[in-house]
Amino acid sequence: MQLRAGAGPTDAGTVLAGIGGGPLLRPGAGLYLHVPFCFHKCHYCDFYSIVDTRDRQGEFTKRLIAEVRALAKATQRPRLATIFVGGGTPSLLAVGLWQELLAALAEAFDLSGLVEFTVECNPETVSAELMAVLAAGGVNRVSIGAQSFHAQHLKTLERWHDPANVFKAVELARAVGIARQSMDLIFAIPGQTMTEWDADLKAALGAGTTHLSCYALTYEPNTAMTARMKKGEFSQMPGDLEADMFEHTLSTLRAAGLERYEVSNFAKKGDECRHNLAYWRQHDWLAAGPNASAHVRGVRWKNIQRLDDYLNKHVRDFAMVTDVEYADAVRNLSEAVWTGLRLAEGIDAAQTLAAADAAKGGMAEKIMRVARRQMELGAIVRVDDRWQLSDQGFMIADAVAVAFLEVIE
Amino acid sequence: MPAKPDPKFIRNFSIIAHIDHGKSTLADRLLQATNAVSAREAKDQILDSMDIERERGITIKASAVTVFHRHKSGDSKDELENDYETVDDAGGHKTKKGEKPEAHGDLYMMNFIDTPGHVDFNYEVSRALKACEGAILVVDSTQGVQAQTLVNAYLAVNENLTIIPVINKIDLPGAKPDDVAMEIEQTLGFKAEECLLVSAKSGIGIPDLLAAICEKFPAPRKPLTEKLRALIFDAVYDDYRGVIVYARVFDGKLKVGDKIRMMGVGTTFQVTDIGKMTPKPVRVEGGEIGPGETAYIVAAIRSLKDVRIGDTITLDMHPAEEALAGYQPPRQVVFCDFYPATSEDGDGSDFEELRDAVEKLSLNDSSFTFAPVHSEALGFGYRCGFLGLLHMDIIQERLEREGDVEIVQTAPTVSYHVLVRGTDTMTGANGQALKPVDPSSAFWREVPAGHQLLEVHNPGDLPNQGNIVEIREPICKLEIMLPKQYIGDIMKLCLDRRATYQAQSFVSASRETIQFEIPLAEIIYDFFDKMKGLTSGYGTMDYEVITYRNDNLVRLDILINGDPVEALATIVHRDRAEQRGRQLCSKLKDQIPRHQFEIPVQAAIGGKIIARETIKSFRKDVLAKCYGGDISRKRKLLEKQKEGKKRMKNVGNVTIPQEAFMAVLDQGD
Repeated sequence: MQLRAGAGPTDAGTVLAGIGGGPLLRPGAGLYLHVPFCFHKCHYCDFYSIVDTRDRQGEFTKRLIAEVRALAKATQRPRLATIFVGGGTPSLLAVGLWQELLAALAEAFDLSGLVEFTVECNPETVSAELMAVLAAGGVNRVSIGAQSFHAQHLKTLERWHDPANVFKAVELARAVGIARQSMDLIFAIPGQTMTEWDADLKAALGAGTTHLSCYALTYEPNTAMTARMKKGEFSQMPGDLEADMFEHTLSTLRAAGLERYEVSNFAKKGDECRHNLAYWRQHDWLAAGPNASAHVRGVRWKNIQRLDDYLNKHVRDFAMVTDVEYADAVRNLSEAVWTGLRLAEGIDAAQTLAAADAAKGGMAEKIMRVARRQMELGAIVRVDDRWQLSDQGFMIADAVAVAFLEVIE
Repeated sequence: MPAKPDPKFIRNFSIIAHIDHGKSTLADRLLQATNAVSAREAKDQILDSMDIERERGITIKASAVTVFHRHKSGDSKDELENDYETVDDAGGHKTKKGEKPEAHGDLYMMNFIDTPGHVDFNYEVSRALKACEGAILVVDSTQGVQAQTLVNAYLAVNENLTIIPVINKIDLPGAKPDDVAMEIEQTLGFKAEECLLVSAKSGIGIPDLLAAICEKFPAPRKPLTEKLRALIFDAVYDDYRGVIVYARVFDGKLKVGDKIRMMGVGTTFQVTDIGKMTPKPVRVEGGEIGPGETAYIVAAIRSLKDVRIGDTITLDMHPAEEALAGYQPPRQVVFCDFYPATSEDGDGSDFEELRDAVEKLSLNDSSFTFAPVHSEALGFGYRCGFLGLLHMDIIQERLEREGDVEIVQTAPTVSYHVLVRGTDTMTGANGQALKPVDPSSAFWREVPAGHQLLEVHNPGDLPNQGNIVEIREPICKLEIMLPKQYIGDIMKLCLDRRATYQAQSFVSASRETIQFEIPLAEIIYDFFDKMKGLTSGYGTMDYEVITYRNDNLVRLDILINGDPVEALATIVHRDRAEQRGRQLCSKLKDQIPRHQFEIPVQAAIGGKIIARETIKSFRKDVLAKCYGGDISRKRKLLEKQKEGKKRMKNVGNVTIPQEAFMAVLDQGD
């Protein structure tokens, strides 16, 4: 499994071929598909998406299917545990194209062990017909971008949907037997009050959802939101109020039976997003579509970003890739620690220390020291030989992560 | 090298000036006018000297340059050699083609001795002036008399030198030579009409100046003894040849092969080379120099520590009875700690780099002192002593530039003389024995029986308050020259800093000079900048430590999260301690980032808390989203945070940015 960095442009097939040795994907592997189309770019979003003025959906789907087949072949038609289709706006893809894509997936991969198949849906773009096609194709979970139930806040976010359509989307999903519906909500929107946020949480719970992702609004670089704030159109919410909202989220959802299982993710026991857990547990996943990121046994890479490039530049149907990071004991350990700590289940102390010991002499002892200090401070707790963030620790997960990263090098 | 003239035709002199008043340009012009360098060379001097360095394996620092010049006694204007075509005459000197050399007068040897330009190096300046009989005092005709002009002139007067006042840059549009001449008359007592009007840049007035050098500057004094006595006025370290000593012979003779003895240090060396800078290094004829001459001497001296500027060289076999007057060791008055900037990860490699840099630099500059220190907060470093603030800045910059180390500098402090009860050895913060004040120091004072006078320059080293009888601090004479309208603001600035007003005098219709006595501690950090700001850049200042005086001083400790941080301790006046304590706590509160826990910042005197601030813990610090595609990017963000933290120092559990250590320096509100 030796590969050298800096070898110039490469493609996913070459990267996968370099990983070699034993079955490529470990059990529980996932697949992420990226559909880049949006009919409007939301101002806070920094995911890769385009408002396509030319109709390239057909061309895109064809290319995506070819890539999926190439990946499946290179990994010996693996048994997938999860599939997640994100965007962009996957629900914007025409129903007919969805049918082609779903059929291709079923043919390319072994889906006999598939436990979760999620599609992100924009409340405005779902139809009974689409839901039926998705359900027939094995989709058993939808993630609905609700963001807020207050029109003025949706407007601040430049998010154009009628809040009522969120509930409609939930019903449509249920009607065709898609059993699990998740919602995304955003807090710390400029001008938002605690009362309004509380109402948003209650509205989401009222729809009977058993999984909620609640994100503090993040001002990502190169987004319209950040530019508008810098221009002075609005100011960032005061830190204390944002922290209050973060705390309120936990207490409200906990009272409703949704436990935090990741910094921003809450679910009824058993309803956690299996696919996303794989990201934080360092499992393997393949990726298809522009700008989609994959991880296989410590190696990370990302497909080329621009749709034009994605459609036109490929090698044996594999996408060209960028940002390849080859396996590295120290980097992989740091990822395992800081992404693992974002989960309520935390990280296995013995396993972490063993990996540290193997990576570099003396590191395990330093990690132990940091862990002890964080326990003293009440940021982490030790439960069943696992280090887990406390409620207070979740508030400052990054600071705790940095404390560990300081000794993992 | 021409034949040696009779000592009565030797002139030893320096050029002294306020910074940027044209000292170097004038020096270059004199070299050019006497044909020591061609016009082209005058421009390319730096390059040329680098070539020489390569060819001859010697570092050129023209501490003294010897040139030759012909002058007819009684003339007030000399011919310039570079104005006519020359041939080498019999003596190896150049003379006008087709004419006898004597037609241009007697051959003078001019030794002109460079001085460091800044008051921090007053001691060196006066050493250099001791080697001279005359000094050219240069004043910029657009700037007028400045503080350093005065201080340098006083130094020259103290050494009984003959001074030729020169008003430079007279061809500039803003030149006011008449006004400046009046200022010189007013402040220094020279007649306005005695001033020579010169433009070093264009050559105006140079013939007059050369004539004045020969006419007005006295010849070297007659030898007082047959035995060698030569004054060391500079020394530089050269990688190939060891220490090169610049010396002025007053009595006796010195030749290659002689075994010399440094009368102050007591070390002996064999002379291997004697030469002069012309400005190229040239070995002296016959390898011998006599009374009145200056030369560089190479004698396989390995370290600058073996040489003291101001020491007297004599012959080991026939030593002089008495050294030339007035040797004093250089006086370090400002101290601070240097620590490596990057936090040591236990392996101490950064400290090693700092150590190498400090040791290497000390070969080149023997006037700063250094001793290893350890601070809880900053790890291993060095406590260094400097001649003044500028000297401190220069050393820091050279360490960083030449030694390639990044440095955290602690607040500079002055050297205190602490009178304590008891005669047992007392130890400082690092367990080292505190040194008594050297009784040969000009500032030593009689110590009562049963007491001792200790030198303390680190607030952390201050003995137990109960044992202290008094703390004496260095007091400066401060001279500020400024346009009249700023006097009120400067008065306030000085009086706020415990200065006592001494005198005020008239320089010209628009400018005055004010004198204060002020504790050195009050001016070692931002005083100069404040003074410049308040006078719109027009004020100039100079200072000199004149005495040590007792005042009501206390150590102000800073406790962060309950632990005293030695590097933040300061010595302050009791009356201002509370205000200063509050100020410091509030500054530190702004400088220290929020942590996972609440951090009290306290100021204390002798265990009693006098001020407190609290740095609240942060409530929320977490990225909202981190999915598959985010991991690489967010990891880099976290790594960046981590690198930022690395540049800070850990004190207990608190991470303190380096800027916080500098916060103690800022006297501002």
